[in-house]
Amino acid sequence: MQSQGKVLIVDDEISIRRALHSSLQGMGFTVEDASTGEAAVDLVRQAEYDVLLLDINMPGMGGIRACREIRKSLPRLGILMLTVRDSEEDKVAALDAGADDYITKPFHVRELAARIRAAVRRSCASAVEPNAVIRIGNIELDPARRLVRKGGEPVHLTPKEYDLLHDLMAHAGLPLTHARLLRAVWGPEYGGELEYLRTFVRQLRKKIEDDPAEPAYLLTDSHIGYRFAEAKPVTVEENA
Amino acid sequence: MDGKIEVVTGAAAESTVADKAKLRADFRRAARAALGIGRGCVGGLAAVALVTFCAFRLHLNLSTTGSLYFLIVVMVAVIEGFWEASVTSFVAVNCLNYFFVPPVLTWRVSNPQDWVALATFEITALTVSRLSTRVQAQTRAEARQRMEIEKLYQLSRRILLLDRRRTIGPQVVALIQEIFHTESAALFDATLARLDSTGSRADDLEHLARDAYFQDAALQGKSGHASAQVLRLGSRPVGALALCGSEVGRLTMASIASLAAVALERARSFETESRAEAARQTEQLRTAVLDSLAHAFKTPLTALRTASSGLLEAGRLSGDDLEMAALIDERAEHLNRLTTELLQMAKIDAAEVRLRQERISVLTLIEDAVETNRERLHGRRIEVSDIAPHLDVWGDRQLLGTVLEQFIDNASKYSTPGSPISVVAEENLGEIVIAVHNDGPPIRAADRERIFERFYRAEESRYRAPGTGLGLSIARKAAEAHGGRTWVISEEGAGTTFFFALPRGARAEIRRQSGAVAGQGTDR
Repeated sequence: MQSQGKVLIVDDEISIRRALHSSLQGMGFTVEDASTGEAAVDLVRQAEYDVLLLDINMPGMGGIRACREIRKSLPRLGILMLTVRDSEEDKVAALDAGADDYITKPFHVRELAARIRAAVRRSCASAVEPNAVIRIGNIELDPARRLVRKGGEPVHLTPKEYDLLHDLMAHAGLPLTHARLLRAVWGPEYGGELEYLRTFVRQLRKKIEDDPAEPAYLLTDSHIGYRFAEAKPVTVEENA
Repeated sequence: MDGKIEVVTGAAAESTVADKAKLRADFRRAARAALGIGRGCVGGLAAVALVTFCAFRLHLNLSTTGSLYFLIVVMVAVIEGFWEASVTSFVAVNCLNYFFVPPVLTWRVSNPQDWVALATFEITALTVSRLSTRVQAQTRAEARQRMEIEKLYQLSRRILLLDRRRTIGPQVVALIQEIFHTESAALFDATLARLDSTGSRADDLEHLARDAYFQDAALQGKSGHASAQVLRLGSRPVGALALCGSEVGRLTMASIASLAAVALERARSFETESRAEAARQTEQLRTAVLDSLAHAFKTPLTALRTASSGLLEAGRLSGDDLEMAALIDERAEHLNRLTTELLQMAKIDAAEVRLRQERISVLTLIEDAVETNRERLHGRRIEVSDIAPHLDVWGDRQLLGTVLEQFIDNASKYSTPGSPISVVAEENLGEIVIAVHNDGPPIRAADRERIFERFYRAEESRYRAPGTGLGLSIARKAAEAHGGRTWVISEEGAGTTFFFALPRGARAEIRRQSGAVAGQGTDR
């Protein structure tokens, strides 16, 4: 079977490393593991990985610091944080440290595999031309012409709405924190104006969702931020 | 209170005895004063005698002798006081008359000018004596005042240095006795209903201090220099102080009382501070224990769940093996949910100590709860009614979210498949009321209150949907921690509605007694 990607598991608990190792290998991933943040920093320098599964709570360096350290030298590596506490602060801290996504322990392996695949796709997509047209479901965004179509029909967006949608679609499948979105779209002096962001998301949903009350694309990660639904195996052409 | 009753009932009987005692004391005081004047005169009279003898033998004239007498009277006034100087001047004027005013050695005065000289001598002597005594008294009073101020300063400084970990009362009375050299001192601390005293007349003073507090007035003791003063902070009486055996001025007494009141207040605030600190430490400990418990349970659960779901995903199992792996996976997930909810419950208990309160828009609260539950809705639609954007509440975002999440989760579990769930919020009589409605079979009347109890699950629901029996009790506890309430209305054909009411606008009072509101919100 062709490998779905090379994964490095970093967790201080041997039982979790063993279970993850066997399960992910069984699902077609190439797997290696490490027990500390320090070991992970060393390993990623020596070998190339697609995705890093990094536990937040580890003795020594800890997951967040390891993530920040690794992100400095490897901006494209997919990093997925594992957290045992269902704490929003931890998740936001992980995303701020440069992680692509997080998953709360315990999890179903299928969900983990889906997140890993999304991270792999992102690390590959980053290499692609930044002005390439993004198609997800029946939404199409053309960065070169700043144009958005839904089911082939142009959608009129304000410049801020467009910037917000572009940022979300460019990172489809991954959570973007409120603060990150505010800074990216409105400027570095923003970060705490949640109601502002919520209003724009509501407007955007009215324009791109079939049913704004049941969003299929622009999803909320409660208390964390928003994520654009992952690319589905339907193309614009098929849908049209 | 006993002391007060005793004072009132015994007052009449004691009054005559007290009058006699007062009379005797006055007499003794007068006798003591007379004796003192007598002793003070001895020196002056001896000097007058000496001057008379010398002047008579040396044949000094009237004016020279008069000057010498005058000098003696002034010195007596400076050294002993006015009364002693008056006696001396009276004797001197008579000596002057008898020995030096012609005709000598008779009491008669032949020349009227000599009458004028004698009268002038007596009046001048008395006036100068009076003036010098007054200056003397003023100087003494100033010295005493200076000393009392120094003592007060010393008291205030040492009150700041009292050991606040030990009871403050005994320390304060010991300090006052030491600095003001009182015979006894007593302090009544009204907050603790505690009496502390020191010295030989401690018992009498304790009564006096307590009576002063209950009568809310400064009192004088029946004998000696005993007096009591009410201790006040602002206008609020906080106790009383009684002192005896030292001449402490009224102003100084008031200042000592103020300092004692400040000492009591400081001790009280230190105690409150210590209690808050202890509560904070307890909470910190509880958080640490909860965190390590979460870690201790969730780590093996993660390994278990990863292994079981990994087995299922690998797709190599079939028949009984597949079923057993699925069973392990399902039960591991149930155990995980149970652990999460137990930890959540423990956290809410901890939140009774401290809530992270902020202003939250009701619309946002509902939207977040809907998003969190979206995966568990199994295709059911959630209809959120138009909610006024200005509706907001004060509270802990996470805890309030928990209430709604539990209601929505409950509605999605027990509603008719495919039927919508509706959420409504409005202001009603100063409360924000949020209602989550679903269609489906009603909850039995007997169960409507019990479903909010920990681990209680209604008979028919045990088999209909998975659950731990903790969700609704968590919701109720979270609501009550904000001074809010929860209840349910359920009828055949009309579906089931869970309600959640929160006081509007103000920061919620944290309710420690969760039972206090538990009964109010039940279904009618």
